[in-house]
Amino acid sequence: MEKFLLRNIENPNSTDINEYIKAGGYKALLKAVEMKPADIVSEVRKSGLRGRGGAGFPTGMKWAFASADPKKPRYMLCNADEGEPGTFKDRPILEKNPHLLIEGMIISGYALEAEYGYIYIRGEYPAAKDILDAAIKQAHEKGYLGDNVSGKGVRFHLYVHQGAGAYICGEETALIESLEGKRGQPRIKPPFPVNEGFLSKPTIINNVETLANIPYIIEIGADAYAEIGSPDCPGPKLYSVSGHVKRPGVYELPMGITLREIIYDHCGGIRGDKKLKAVIPGGISTPILPADAIDCPMDFVNMPKHGSMLGSGAVMVFDETVDLVKVCYRAIKFFEHESCGKCTPCREGVGWMRAILERISGGSGTAEDIDLLIEVSNNITGKTFCPLGDGAAMVVQNFVKNFRSEFEEKIH
Amino acid sequence: MPKDIIIELTINGKNIKAEQGMTILQAAQKNGIYIPNMCYDRRLKPYGGCRLCVVELEGQKRLFAACSTPAEDGMIVHTETPKLAKARKTVLELLLVHHPLDCPICDKAGECDLQDLAFKYGPSQSRFTAERKHDPERVDAPIVERNPNRCILCGKCVRVCAEHQGVGAINLIGRGFKTKVSPAFEETLNCEFCGQCIDACPVGALGAKPYRFRSRVWYMDEYEAICPYCGCGCTTNLSLREGRIIRARGKDGIGINEGNLCGKGRFGFDYIYSENRITTPMIKKDGKLVPVSWEEALQYVAKRLEDIKGKYGPSAIGAIGSQRCTIEDNYMLQKFMREVVGTDNIDSVARFGYAKAQKALEKAYDVDFMPIKWKAPLNADFMLVVESDITSTLPVWGLNFIKAKNDGATLVVADVKETKLARNSTQWLRIKPGSGTALLNGMMKVIIDGGLYDKDKTSAVPNFDALTAGLKEFTPQAVSNITGISEDAIISLARSYAYPGKRLIALTSNISENTKSMNTILAAANLAILMGDDPDTVQVPAEFSNTAGMWMSGVRPLSGGKDVYDMLYEPGAVKALYIMGENPIVTFQDAARVEKTLKGLELLIVQDIFLKEAARIADVVLPACSWAEKEGTFMSATGNIQKTPKLVAETGQSVPDWKIFRNLARVMNKDLGLKDITAIRAAIADMIVSGETKDIRRSFNPASYEVMETVSEEYPMFLVTSNILQHSGALSVLSKNLDSVVSDAYLQVNTKDAKKHGIHDDAFVRVKSKRGEVYLKAMLSDEVPEGTVFAPLHFAHAKVNALTYPSLNGGLPLVAVSIEAA
Ligand SMILES: Cc1cc2nc3c(=O)[nH]c(=O)nc-3n(C[C@H](O)[C@H](O)[C@H](O)COP(=O)(O)O)c2cc1C
Ligand code: SF4
Ligand code: SF4
Ligand code: SF4
Ligand code: SF4
Ligand code: FES
Repeated sequence: MEKFLLRNIENPNSTDINEYIKAGGYKALLKAVEMKPADIVSEVRKSGLRGRGGAGFPTGMKWAFASADPKKPRYMLCNADEGEPGTFKDRPILEKNPHLLIEGMIISGYALEAEYGYIYIRGEYPAAKDILDAAIKQAHEKGYLGDNVSGKGVRFHLYVHQGAGAYICGEETALIESLEGKRGQPRIKPPFPVNEGFLSKPTIINNVETLANIPYIIEIGADAYAEIGSPDCPGPKLYSVSGHVKRPGVYELPMGITLREIIYDHCGGIRGDKKLKAVIPGGISTPILPADAIDCPMDFVNMPKHGSMLGSGAVMVFDETVDLVKVCYRAIKFFEHESCGKCTPCREGVGWMRAILERISGGSGTAEDIDLLIEVSNNITGKTFCPLGDGAAMVVQNFVKNFRSEFEEKIH
Repeated sequence: MPKDIIIELTINGKNIKAEQGMTILQAAQKNGIYIPNMCYDRRLKPYGGCRLCVVELEGQKRLFAACSTPAEDGMIVHTETPKLAKARKTVLELLLVHHPLDCPICDKAGECDLQDLAFKYGPSQSRFTAERKHDPERVDAPIVERNPNRCILCGKCVRVCAEHQGVGAINLIGRGFKTKVSPAFEETLNCEFCGQCIDACPVGALGAKPYRFRSRVWYMDEYEAICPYCGCGCTTNLSLREGRIIRARGKDGIGINEGNLCGKGRFGFDYIYSENRITTPMIKKDGKLVPVSWEEALQYVAKRLEDIKGKYGPSAIGAIGSQRCTIEDNYMLQKFMREVVGTDNIDSVARFGYAKAQKALEKAYDVDFMPIKWKAPLNADFMLVVESDITSTLPVWGLNFIKAKNDGATLVVADVKETKLARNSTQWLRIKPGSGTALLNGMMKVIIDGGLYDKDKTSAVPNFDALTAGLKEFTPQAVSNITGISEDAIISLARSYAYPGKRLIALTSNISENTKSMNTILAAANLAILMGDDPDTVQVPAEFSNTAGMWMSGVRPLSGGKDVYDMLYEPGAVKALYIMGENPIVTFQDAARVEKTLKGLELLIVQDIFLKEAARIADVVLPACSWAEKEGTFMSATGNIQKTPKLVAETGQSVPDWKIFRNLARVMNKDLGLKDITAIRAAIADMIVSGETKDIRRSFNPASYEVMETVSEEYPMFLVTSNILQHSGALSVLSKNLDSVVSDAYLQVNTKDAKKHGIHDDAFVRVKSKRGEVYLKAMLSDEVPEGTVFAPLHFAHAKVNALTYPSLNGGLPLVAVSIEAA
């Protein structure tokens, strides 16, 4: 497949604006500013693009909600917090193809009549921050950013804001709080960010990869775009593959490709030709799948039918040697560490699950512990303030559901 | 969202009505249905953290937090199901796992939400053992103690402080299980010490240090009383143990304050236990005050008054009433003076405070008294506050300005100082000290020149031409020179003020302030009349707990008698003075002159609760009962007449002020006809018409801008004086609790000025004016700009009033001073 999101990244000077332009960059922007903002919104709607941040929300619909709110100013935010364990798909865009994101944001800003954009980037990507800052400067110099974008009288200013290392700040409302200089904790919805987001104004927040798709939609048109990948969930997708495969890395492949194809055709199969034990298909919060369930099409619509979710498309591959109880324990330790502390079930309950898992994993668990673990997780599910706590409970439930015998073996 | 749309939903099978925009919890509470909750507070935005208020919605699998889910038409809600009982039980179990369970020594025990809810919903046994939290307690700050181990992280304290109180002194720090409530960097708490967070805390994680380990809640009786401090007239709930007040708190929904209190109301009650209380009558013998019996004291007073009256006539005798004493006390003072002594020389320190407002509003609207409206800020779209630190003068009323701003109204503050309202404003215009009058005039000129005023309504108002003539010199350029803000800022302020919507100008008129005069209030009234607005768009509150009541009960000259200016600043104007509940040497400007007048009197009678400066030089001192030692009524700034009860025994031989006058009249062979408080109340019922403004008659009164003293080479800076939040007049400094927060006078100096003069933080500064000099501790702060210094007036020993001077009418009593490191 022809690459779009990762186009040009082999070029060692790919971050330079001239190289980007040479490869066809900023053409979509020039085309977009000739269109009416509302037409761009309906084009994105028609393309069928779904958000790549993990939830798969139809981007066009989100944009239409924001456009319908008359309050001004509006803000355009890019979620570059990329904190979900296993996920590193946005990184090549940020570090190797920053102008694609910038172009996507300018077009989005124009389409949504937002004059200010912010890229909220995770603190652990310092190199990407510098690269983006330099790219933004270049885009200003070329007149793509500023008070008169491409001489069309369009205003768009773009800033990069660094996070301070909290996973929860990837959740959109916590991100907004953090951007406002407050403690990173999720907000109550409603009101939704599209109506009352950053500084209480309508705010559109999209993932890096989502925004990087916008120039492509403008370039080839919504109809052609909708032809790529799965019918209900089209477009190119970045999969970040880690774990026991021969060639881990970020792959640009169409939506709907199966897990098996990703692991065996593109990543060269399991390292040392060992047996596959399990796969987490979309980042740590998505349900783990046993080896025999990998013929599922990787997109937002089909994965739930196969017992998991696409999430961020972060594929984590575990071979037969892996101790899954330990993986589960490590995952919950992560959630305990990242729980923001706002709501009781997550703040206190996840720690409790971690303690039980620590016991089981360390060989001092009791026969009742597995049931207690499930019971605690059930008391978290559906009762937390935001999906982080829910996600932690779901991890436990799916590990135990699919690999209960491994847990039982640890109990003596 | 429109409030007036009524929706219908079903809760537990019961059909109920609610307003659109309400949450499920609010809808339930309105209909008397209880849903447990721990992080919900009516005053704050919903938070949704504790997850105790979860409910089931028919047709939905997951549970919803009632406090943060909007109620919708047709919703079917269940609040008590086995599934919910289980969820709540788990939440409580989770909260108890790490809790220290030190209820036996926790001051909250018995009124703790965690205890109560665990009893109702919680598990009988925990399935989990973990280390209990054991962070050290923090008792290093004044007033507020923190016990992080008991904290359930509901976040109410943090949100009350930031959202409602407009301070933001504390936040949640750390993440997840390690989250805790703390000031920045875990430093010692340094805030305004209002204690609102303590009342908000559902558990024993925050406490009032003065109450620490003082009692178990079940040994105390709680009574409602009216706060003795400011004109808000808050209801405070006093807890007594063995006849002593040991705690005060606000209770949700109670009183005009609906449970809010400031630090004075919450902690300042202990002044009544000050060691300085006068316990017996005293007469000066051989230059020394010696205790005597009541009989001897009253006989003596009677005789001396008769003598002076005989010698000089009744007009040689005067009296000063008190804004702190009850209506009954003040009424009896003036009745005694008028009917027994026969003098109209009756006045109070309010002459330099609220009387200016009263005089201005009388000119502008022809009314005798204009109470404020409690909710006025909440109904306004555009609020303008001119040189008034409202959250210090009327702290709880001031919260309404912050709330209105949070709810979307515009708040513009014009002030030289960075006040709390300035920090919470939409726009803060840092004008030069005392230039508010000019700013208001400048706004009017822009409005008139632009034709933006209400021509229909003003056409019938007298003096329009005089007004425009008087405004001629107040061009944007001239006003820009006076105020120090740009012409554009003045023009745009005027235009946004004139923009359609509900407007409000608020100002205070306090004794301690020297940046405003009667003319400032006149200018504000002119502006309101010009815009065709109602009189209640100009809000000027009466300052203290009974300023309004004192005024209404006739403590002021009513038939040409001498006012307090004549009596205190014109030596010899009176020969004898009867002072009730006031210490003029501290509260009046130009203290040296006042002291001289007092010393020159033939007879000085001081009737008070404390032996302070004026009492010490008196010929007779009479011990009065304090607040809470006597029953009585106050009239608040809103015009509400509220009873406050007798709760504790009298100190020593003290007697309620009103009774002293009754007894004294009897000794002087006159029966005032009023033998008890019921009889007094009946007598004053028709004298005091509370509240509603009668017919008003508007007129314009050109307000000139006259500064009485300007800076010079010798005195190059302006001294601004006023109240601070933690204190109230000279009374609150006698509270040990409040003293632990701010115990000393200080001089705020801008950091640049400090550098210029080599002044260091906390070091002494010599401040000099034409009238005198004082030494004050420096507080370096950018709350004041270069060229301006600020000092509070509460502290007697600091004698800041040695520098100041009074102004009765339109002149601005700004004080030019010089400062140097001492
Ligand atoms: C705990 C949590 C962490 C998240 N982290 C990220 C993240 O790092 N990057 C991201 O794009 N979205 C993240 N999301 C999803 C965002 O909330 C949001 O849905 C997304 O940014 C929307 O963009 P999209 O519609 O383009 O996907 C996270 C959500 C949750 C609940
Ligand atoms: S589930 Fe609750 S505690 Fe956990 S991250 Fe979300 S809001 Fe914070
Ligand atoms: S006492 Fe008042 S100012 Fe201080 S932290 Fe509590 S709420 Fe905030
Ligand atoms: S200290 Fe009290 S009010 Fe503050 S978060 Fe803890 S429990 Fe809540
Ligand atoms: S001083 Fe005023 S605001 Fe404070 S509690 Fe008393 S009446 Fe209320
Ligand atoms: S009261 Fe609703 S979550 Fe706490």
